[in-house]
Amino acid sequence: MEETQNMESHFNDSASSDSNDCQRVDQYGFERAEDFNYESYEDFMSRHLAVVTRRSKKWTKLLQGTVKVEKNIKVKRYVRKGVPCEHRTQIWMAASGAQDQLDRNPGYYHSLLKAEHDPKIEEVIRADMHRTFPDNIQFRASSEPCLQKALFNVLLAYGYHNKDVGYCQGMNFIAGYLLIITKDEEKSFWLMDALIGKILPDYYTPTMLGLQMDQEVLGELVRMKVPAVWQVMNRHNVMWTLVVSRWFICLYVDILPVETVLRIWDCLFYEGSKILFRVALTMIRHNENLISQAQSLSEICERFKQITNGEYVEDCHTFMQKIFMEPGGLSTATITKLRKMCRNRITSA
Amino acid sequence: MQVPWNFRFGIVILGDSSVGKSSLLHRYTEGTFDESRQSPLGIDFKVSNMYFDPDVVIKLLLWDTAGQERFRSICKSYMRNSVGCILMFDVSQRQTFDRVRSWQQEVLDYVKPNPMFFVLVGHKCDLAVGRQVRKSEGDALAKKLNMLAYLEVSTKENINVKETFETLTRGIYNLFQQGKIPTRGDWQGLTVGATVQKESPVTKKSACCNCG
Repeated sequence: MEETQNMESHFNDSASSDSNDCQRVDQYGFERAEDFNYESYEDFMSRHLAVVTRRSKKWTKLLQGTVKVEKNIKVKRYVRKGVPCEHRTQIWMAASGAQDQLDRNPGYYHSLLKAEHDPKIEEVIRADMHRTFPDNIQFRASSEPCLQKALFNVLLAYGYHNKDVGYCQGMNFIAGYLLIITKDEEKSFWLMDALIGKILPDYYTPTMLGLQMDQEVLGELVRMKVPAVWQVMNRHNVMWTLVVSRWFICLYVDILPVETVLRIWDCLFYEGSKILFRVALTMIRHNENLISQAQSLSEICERFKQITNGEYVEDCHTFMQKIFMEPGGLSTATITKLRKMCRNRITSA
Repeated sequence: MQVPWNFRFGIVILGDSSVGKSSLLHRYTEGTFDESRQSPLGIDFKVSNMYFDPDVVIKLLLWDTAGQERFRSICKSYMRNSVGCILMFDVSQRQTFDRVRSWQQEVLDYVKPNPMFFVLVGHKCDLAVGRQVRKSEGDALAKKLNMLAYLEVSTKENINVKETFETLTRGIYNLFQQGKIPTRGDWQGLTVGATVQKESPVTKKSACCNCG
């Protein structure tokens, strides 16, 4: 359990390999669905690659001779337009403060792995191993090396480090994505700590109060910005948790396409949790008619699943532009106020 | 002769983490087995119609829940809208059986004053080795806790899957016919819908008729 793995060589980027007719696995190791539309994907990629290349050049220039990532308008704009894959780990680590933590606490992660662990937590984490990304070849028990081991280590260490949280189902998906991107257990651990300890409200603690609060906040925002949807939810007595809990708990992992999720996370690490509302509001608003015409509880649920698929969310670059326009203004003051109100409402219920 | 009615039952599936709740529901509604089914992380649901007798259609709202304790607060409100519960344990994990009693108590306390009817499911009964709970123990516990039945189920081998849902639904239906389940306007657990037409057996949720 103590040993960590060298994950450098285990997986070669296949993104740039020539577009052979049947590229069944994406650059992150996820197998494409059987009904994956290669034609529209090729079409999208031919446009998207130009964007990516341009962004990549700009980033390389920006980062020349520096390891620091400043917080300013220019970098914010850069982040919103997407962090290139090769810089992602660095930017996430720097922007979230995870790098500082790592530098200040050398060896800490490894000491956590050597600690005596709670067998109960170990058991719960173990039960989630085979159901974390079964569609990703890096997480197959048969792959060599297998990311399941790294995933187990990160989650166990985190549970020991943050005893208020321990382990909450859903964290496996977060840690899994971090490992896919950073290919490094220790960095994944500190990024996880930045997310759970700092960026997100208490989503994963035993009361899940922060999660309940943010679901309610989204409800309030929908009431203001997309009233027709709010009304249909109200009419059929659908609680927000039923349709959006996964969105928040998994930070859109396994909900939205991989590339789109990574773009959202770029902003999440740089700007904070407000971005999660922007994403939700954009999808809901864009599909206002579809959702508000639902006739029953089950139709509402189905439609909330439907809206997380399709071209609108697959074209990550356009989608990310939309999230900053479509929902309109969303000030931090508003979010803070709504969070306070919703938290009070829940705790006094 | 009683006029045939259309009913809607809320059914919730509960039990410890990874006893196989989502797999069971998936097998029942989709007919396939998927070993790596994810936790619903909160609550999820499916709809299924059950055809009873000649003219009775029962619409089942099937609530799938996350087993991990901290998700309980999210799932609770939907327990209130259920009349039946499939309470599951894993026959190869003794501790999941030991927790059955407290699961039931917690649910009953929570839904009070509304009723809740249970079937107990010993899951993964296909496992030839590693069984830690005997069938007789399951039978005895179900009896002791006043449950409608105990079934040994394998989602993998498709054993007793359909029977589980039918036993619970039939049991609730019979109890209702015997007048043992009162309906209330503010309770969605068991809803009496419109009479069922022979020509169109599937009726949409419709205005409530008064019992005649």
